[in-house]
Amino acid sequence: MLAAEASGGPRISATNEPAEALRISIGDGVSDARAKAQFLQVEAADPKSDAVALEHLALWATRYTPSVAPFDEENGADGFFLDITGVASLFGGEDKLLADLSHRLERFGLSPRLAVADTPGMAWALSRFHPSRRFILPSADVNAPENTRLAVKTLADLPIGALRLAPATRRTLRRLGFKRIGALIDAPRAPFAARFEAELLKRLDQALGHVPEPLVLLAPAPIYRKIIRLIEPVFTQDAILALAKRLMTGLVFSLGHDGVGARQLRLTLYRVDGEVFGLDLGLAMPTRDVEHVARLIALKLERLGSQEAMPSCAKAARSGKGRWFPSATRKAGKALPEAIDAGFGFESVGLEITFAERMDPRQSGLAGFSEDSDRAARCAALIDGLRQRLGPRSVRRLEPFESHLPEKAETSQAEIYRRRTDAPASSTSSLTSSWARPASASLRPPLLLRRAEPAQVLALMPEGAPRRFRWRGETHAVALAQGPERIAAEWWRKREPQPTRDYYLVEDEEGRRFWLFREGLYGRETPSPCWFVHGFFA
Amino acid sequence: MKPSLMKPSLIKPSMALRFAPERSRAEILDDLRRLLPRLENPSGGNCAFSFGLPPLDTHLPKGGLAGGALHEVVPESEGDLPAAFGFAAALLGRMPSDGPMLFVISPSGLADCGHPHGHGLDELGLTPARLILVETEDEVQALWAMEEALRSAVPSAVAGAIGQKLDLKASRRLHLAAGNSGRPLILLSAAAGMGSSAAATRWCVGAAKAARDRFGLPAHWRWHLRLERCRNGRLGEWLVEWDHVAYRFSLAAPMADLAIPRGTSLRLQAPRRLVARAADRS
Repeated sequence: MLAAEASGGPRISATNEPAEALRISIGDGVSDARAKAQFLQVEAADPKSDAVALEHLALWATRYTPSVAPFDEENGADGFFLDITGVASLFGGEDKLLADLSHRLERFGLSPRLAVADTPGMAWALSRFHPSRRFILPSADVNAPENTRLAVKTLADLPIGALRLAPATRRTLRRLGFKRIGALIDAPRAPFAARFEAELLKRLDQALGHVPEPLVLLAPAPIYRKIIRLIEPVFTQDAILALAKRLMTGLVFSLGHDGVGARQLRLTLYRVDGEVFGLDLGLAMPTRDVEHVARLIALKLERLGSQEAMPSCAKAARSGKGRWFPSATRKAGKALPEAIDAGFGFESVGLEITFAERMDPRQSGLAGFSEDSDRAARCAALIDGLRQRLGPRSVRRLEPFESHLPEKAETSQAEIYRRRTDAPASSTSSLTSSWARPASASLRPPLLLRRAEPAQVLALMPEGAPRRFRWRGETHAVALAQGPERIAAEWWRKREPQPTRDYYLVEDEEGRRFWLFREGLYGRETPSPCWFVHGFFA
Repeated sequence: MKPSLMKPSLIKPSMALRFAPERSRAEILDDLRRLLPRLENPSGGNCAFSFGLPPLDTHLPKGGLAGGALHEVVPESEGDLPAAFGFAAALLGRMPSDGPMLFVISPSGLADCGHPHGHGLDELGLTPARLILVETEDEVQALWAMEEALRSAVPSAVAGAIGQKLDLKASRRLHLAAGNSGRPLILLSAAAGMGSSAAATRWCVGAAKAARDRFGLPAHWRWHLRLERCRNGRLGEWLVEWDHVAYRFSLAAPMADLAIPRGTSLRLQAPRRLVARAADRS
């Protein structure tokens, strides 16, 4: 039995069957319940863990349908909706699906109450208040209009609580003498609309299907999705890769038919005990290549493996015995990385394409075959591979940015290829031209520190060139200083005035070239300007 | 020599060597220089890219840096890393074919010298738009990324900056990958030190005082280059200048004037002011 703190002492928030037999119900005070049964075991309720567990279970339920919506607070946060439109036939009918779902949930140690109906409201009401644990309300479609009357009749028999109303509304209705929903359906609507908030009639209409009720899905249902349910669970990486290949082969046809390629994929592994693992892959260019996708999944798994084995890897690197390409010597039944615990094996493997992009058919192998686009595709494949193994932010490209401040004059772009073009972004003229700087512009260092580091500088005058500076514990005598190049703060970006910088190109006695700046104008902005090292010239 | 290598095209010159004892030593050496690279790397990789600097290019066995090979660049001392980086970037910028270039940087690859700055690279002749930067979490991944990039043969050149010294096995592996793809790999290793390596060349780069213009301001960067290792070639030492307007190398003025006969060895007292040293590798 679980209890939660409420006004007037702890109140019971969940009970088990023996407690229900003793007529202890949810909402009772714990002290009252103890009076009924002294051997009561009370634990504190933990709504956060409950929410996490519910989400896990909802994830697991995506093995039935991609459209899964866990209950929100209003719905009681203790179950989920499955949109099984068009799915039931895959399992041999709604009753078979329900039986399978119920059987599996019972194996997890849960006691599910399931109902199938045309609207979420109706299904919710039936799952809670229908006497049977599994109930299917026949669908009211064009072929069977009499089922609409059946639905209204079924709903009419249920208590008011089946309408998902706020407790205050429920209490008022009870005081007014409404016990069954039927009384509400028959009564004229206008007085209810005037007396109660819009919620009451909205809930009633939602249950009857007069008003649509959008579900907040766990993830938007992908257009392209395929799932394999296995009789015998699989454990090894190779088995999963083989399955992924099969799934992708199945998807390629519909992708090709629609003229699109996958840009983002998700491989979902459903473990026997209900745990779900997801691998997300992002691609630089849309693809329909089965081998490529399988290779990316293998690299992603290797990354997961290498992350946990990081300390040992670093050690191997130091001793010079690191093997950095493990796939070359992979054995037949390679185990999965520990981040994905296979446990008793995976019973289902699903592949969905979460983002597809237009992919124009390309001619290959013939005279008209373009070298450039082939190269772009191979380059994208390389980048994909590197990203899966090294992390999504590892591969980037520099892009110029209009700014006077050197550290802001470029941005790094993760997107190497422009959307919907075969050509690399670098070949477009607008980009190459914007790197160009006027010939009179002063030099920029090829290496720039992420944060300018303070240096102690000796100069003849406060606004003069440096003569000697100390940085990182070393003193450098300045042989030559070129400057200053004054870079004022960009007042149009920041409201607060930033100090002006005077940049100097400094060469020390040994020929090393530094880029120093003095922050703040002496006398005007600050009485004692600070010096910083910002970059290194070649 | 293994019997499998006994192809007529390969064996002929050496036969000629054996049966022509009257030829001069220089001729035999020239023949060997032509022959040995073909034995070592039979599958292409013959294209080379030049410095655009005749004294250096003629010094190298193929008239330039070999295309499908590993070239190491090491800084002379810790503080010379920016100079070594600049030299490597300038080399990359001289790569003739246009296509993406990959620069793999390991966490300790650029020591504490920050990160590549596009506008500065542009001045070294390396168009930043062609460059794809890859940052890895450790050294092993950096080696993997370089090998993977070479295998795919997509980038026109691969460069890397790693913090550790490359051991023989790893360098051999990378060299072979470069040879198979025909793409050069320029590897900047922050940890200096001599050691066995399979690299085709190793350049030790030190910063030198920049050339001054007539106002006493720096006009051209200067690097003190020492060719520490050169497979099938001779070692050498130069003081080169980088012209960041014309994007080309040139020899520092006092050197360019000196006419040094090829093959002679000059030994001067001060290595910094040394003009050129060319010695037959024995």
